[in-house]
Amino acid sequence: MDSGLYAACTAMMARTDALDTIANNLANSSTNGFRERHTTFSSVLAGSGEPLESQLNVVTNSYGLLGNSHLDMQSGSLTRTNNELDLGIDGPGFLAVQTAGGVAYTRNGSLQISTKGQLVTQNGDPVLGETGPITIPSGTPVSISADGTITAQGAIAGKLKLVEFSATADPQSLGSTYYTVPPKDVVNSTMSQVRQGMVESSNVNPVSSVVELISAQRALEGMRHALTMIDTEIDKTAAQDIPRIS
Amino acid sequence: MIRALYTAASGMTAQQLNLDNIANNLANSSTTGFQQRRLAFSDMLYQNTVAPGSAATQQTTNAAGLQVGLGVRPTTTETIQTQGDFNATGNPLDLAISGAGFFQILLPNGQTGYSRSGSFNLNSQGTMVTADGNPLDPAITIPPNATNITVGSDGTVTVTQPGTTAATQVGTIQMALFINPGGLNSVGNNIYLETTASGAPVIGTPGGSEGLGTILQGNLEESNVSVVDQFVQMIVAQRSYESNSRVVKAADEMLQQLNQLSQ
Repeated sequence: MDSGLYAACTAMMARTDALDTIANNLANSSTNGFRERHTTFSSVLAGSGEPLESQLNVVTNSYGLLGNSHLDMQSGSLTRTNNELDLGIDGPGFLAVQTAGGVAYTRNGSLQISTKGQLVTQNGDPVLGETGPITIPSGTPVSISADGTITAQGAIAGKLKLVEFSATADPQSLGSTYYTVPPKDVVNSTMSQVRQGMVESSNVNPVSSVVELISAQRALEGMRHALTMIDTEIDKTAAQDIPRIS
Repeated sequence: MIRALYTAASGMTAQQLNLDNIANNLANSSTTGFQQRRLAFSDMLYQNTVAPGSAATQQTTNAAGLQVGLGVRPTTTETIQTQGDFNATGNPLDLAISGAGFFQILLPNGQTGYSRSGSFNLNSQGTMVTADGNPLDPAITIPPNATNITVGSDGTVTVTQPGTTAATQVGTIQMALFINPGGLNSVGNNIYLETTASGAPVIGTPGGSEGLGTILQGNLEESNVSVVDQFVQMIVAQRSYESNSRVVKAADEMLQQLNQLSQ
């Protein structure tokens, strides 16, 4: 059978996987601190290593696969909520969170105070300060300065630990707007500022998501036409018509 | 493909819940002492097809992994603890709390409920009760011949009676404070109940060092719902619902293309 048939088939599978990622981005367009993922396609040369006989083979044997998906680190817009425990991060920084599975990082600054008096995320995991979890006395107005210093009852309760990821890092999504990178890729953030009473909305761009959606849909449609053509025009001719002539 | 369908469906369900919550906030925008709730979302699990940093060949590693997320889930509807505006009514039994405290209300089942709504009335025994007839805890009883009721900012209730010039103290309103008021359980009728998330109440008199806040007599606390903000949220929810339904349609059309292959 023609390798073109499998190339078209692989491309269709890659486009359906791409649709899953687009669907996830759009489903999370209201998730605070969410970072959208983009997919990249990569080509695989079938039978690579062998000398190519003609330029034509390069094209016909090149399969389009879904190579990887990477996180879009662009900031979402900061929305004012006036809630004193909502923190928006202006800059590339992330909050450090102590989860059951180790330290994770988040941009979702919609925080709460646990019954233990600790500053926690919506999942109840303590947010880390420079010296561990931050405890806030109850019933007092909390003020958080731009550098992350938390003041309650006129005393400093702690300073938020803000980190950023190195440019080469590939953050992994853990769900619950938590992200993780290997420890070597974490550096203290000096460029980030905390904005109290604001929350960062998801960075999903509905326009580009819908464009990606349409292009995935149309690419799949194109591949289907290619498949039909290979099947009806070429393979059918080869399998049915040519034997009949001879 | 089927993943995309379910992912988009999770987005639509979440936005529907969001709209339900916005509708309740808007419906209660004139409810005294109502505190708006905010629905928070978080992304669900991810399927890792290629782990980041895994070996691509013996010498090289994959620069980025291949992770596919599986949608969104609504996590919490947290009450927003901002102060509502004060509405001066002049009624001596209308009390507003300026601060973070709650009134303690004795419910018919013996439980203590907590409320920010300070619109009190007197029942036939002269006890201060809520609009539903539930008394304040501890109960404050006003003598029938009282001519003037004064509630101080520290919760002291005094009355003047005919024939005397000095005011008589009839009780002190006590309030409760929670470490995490966002974790209180709303049961309707402006009543919240304590939960393990909210923590045990700290009980004290208003104006003290606990940070309960002070009482303002002759005022009511309006709901803290910002109508403009809710309308903006509503538009966002509607558009997000729309884009998710667009994904369902696209996934359906792509499946249709695949089904037509065999024809």
